[in-house]
Amino acid sequence: MGWQRSFLGFFDARFDTDTGRKLVEKQVFKRLPPHTGWLHVFASLSLFLFISQTVTGILLLMYYRPTPEAAHKSIQYLTGEVQFGWLYRQVHAWGATLMIMALLLHMCRTYFMGAYKKPRELTWVTGVLLFIVTITFGFTGYLLPWNQIAFWATTVGTESAAKVPFIGHWLQYFLRGGDVVAGETLSRFFVVHVIILPWVLTGLVGLHLFLMRLNNLSSSKRVDESEEFPPETGIPFFPVHAAKEVSVLILLVAVLVTLSVLLPWEIGEPADPLSTPSHIKPEWYFLPSYQLLKYFEGPYGAFIGIIACTVPFVLLIVWPFVDRGKERHPRKRPLAVSIGLVGLVGALFLGWLGHVSETDINVFGQRYHIDLLGWPHKLADGEEGGGHDGAGGESAPGEH
Amino acid sequence: MQYKQKTSRRGFLDWLIGLCSAISGAAMTIPSLMYLWPAAQGGESSNVEVPGAENLSVGTSTKVQVGPRAVIVVRGRDGYVAFSAVCTHLGCLVRWDPGKKQFLCPCHAAAFDDKGQVVSGPPPGPLEPYKVKEVSGKVFVSSI
Repeated sequence: MGWQRSFLGFFDARFDTDTGRKLVEKQVFKRLPPHTGWLHVFASLSLFLFISQTVTGILLLMYYRPTPEAAHKSIQYLTGEVQFGWLYRQVHAWGATLMIMALLLHMCRTYFMGAYKKPRELTWVTGVLLFIVTITFGFTGYLLPWNQIAFWATTVGTESAAKVPFIGHWLQYFLRGGDVVAGETLSRFFVVHVIILPWVLTGLVGLHLFLMRLNNLSSSKRVDESEEFPPETGIPFFPVHAAKEVSVLILLVAVLVTLSVLLPWEIGEPADPLSTPSHIKPEWYFLPSYQLLKYFEGPYGAFIGIIACTVPFVLLIVWPFVDRGKERHPRKRPLAVSIGLVGLVGALFLGWLGHVSETDINVFGQRYHIDLLGWPHKLADGEEGGGHDGAGGESAPGEH
Repeated sequence: MQYKQKTSRRGFLDWLIGLCSAISGAAMTIPSLMYLWPAAQGGESSNVEVPGAENLSVGTSTKVQVGPRAVIVVRGRDGYVAFSAVCTHLGCLVRWDPGKKQFLCPCHAAAFDDKGQVVSGPPPGPLEPYKVKEVSGKVFVSSI
């Protein structure tokens, strides 16, 4: 093609394009270790969802107005009036949930296959930081619709920060931009969500990918054995592994759109700073921490609870430097695998307890009220569970 | 006898540039940190009128914003009482239950008596009391 040649010729005449081309080709056709398979696609899914969140986030920003008076109305307008506004809002909301799921699956794969071991400790550390930044995205983005649940979940979330000893109240004051959750908090969360975190995440993703490409994917060999493999046994990134990734991506898009259409996120009632709705609960990925915090009472209880919620993240960051064993194969690492499984099952159980706490559930025809701490209490026929219904039990006519 | 090595002109300039860079960095960082520290949120915190309080019947309640905080005002047989409506556990707003004569928190099932003391649940302390004043039939609250 003549025009192609002249287009590329323009750059060839000005830059050392051969070096760049070779670099790109080296990465695209790079051979991955022979065991690379379907379990290795979660990282690409996370990256795709990050790109999707960025694009849909920019589209939402065209209409969103970050003030207490306008935020909720702008979301209503965007959803009800703007063409396909509902779709982008739903894809953004579901995308956040799926991104965290994809990251968790990717972390599980890396952990159980021992891929965090030497020389990839820093790749793992940047991965854990990426996970922390992603859930911070979730926390800051949750407030932006300025609805009742978001407002009070943020109030409870930032109140927990006040329990940190010595600096707790300053920290809470700084996060909220004042004593209480208000317009100042919305501005701060907005700036963090749409400007600061995207840049931090982009930088970390770049570093993570760079480190991953530098060391290639991990093999299943021992740490002290060479990871070299005959090139002919390796899996070419393009087209073999890329085809797997694209197939799963297509499936992911189908799931994302289906969820957006069939299970849309409610806009909810606008925030009312004078009325707390009953049973405020955070998003599913904060439920384990939410439930864990409840078991720590007394003067130092909240502080110990915050430490208990922080320890798993610190452990994840330092884990490659703690687990110095040479084996990577899960069958040869019973202790590390057991610790991982206990942590995973514990988090899932705490999350489930957090989800069902302060509700009534039915088990084989018998109704139980699950209390604050997750203990079941048998209910007689027609009996209502405990707890205080913030809205339904209102009996004071003068109450706003 | 050993003499101290003299600082060269180049070494001194390197040191000076380092010092000036540190001072410039601090001069730019300190104001930006101060800028990020929140200014006080607005709103009156003393003698705030409680709208419609004079129309409350005995045993009922209303809420009003005093400074940045929500305050709950209850009309009892002997007059009005007011407390911070902010639960001391995790910051949700309590409501008044006239039947139980208790302040109830919708978030973690805490209960406070009509004096603001903890009856049950996880709160670490009582509700903060507020001063109430009646002037010409109107009700005003102030922080203590």
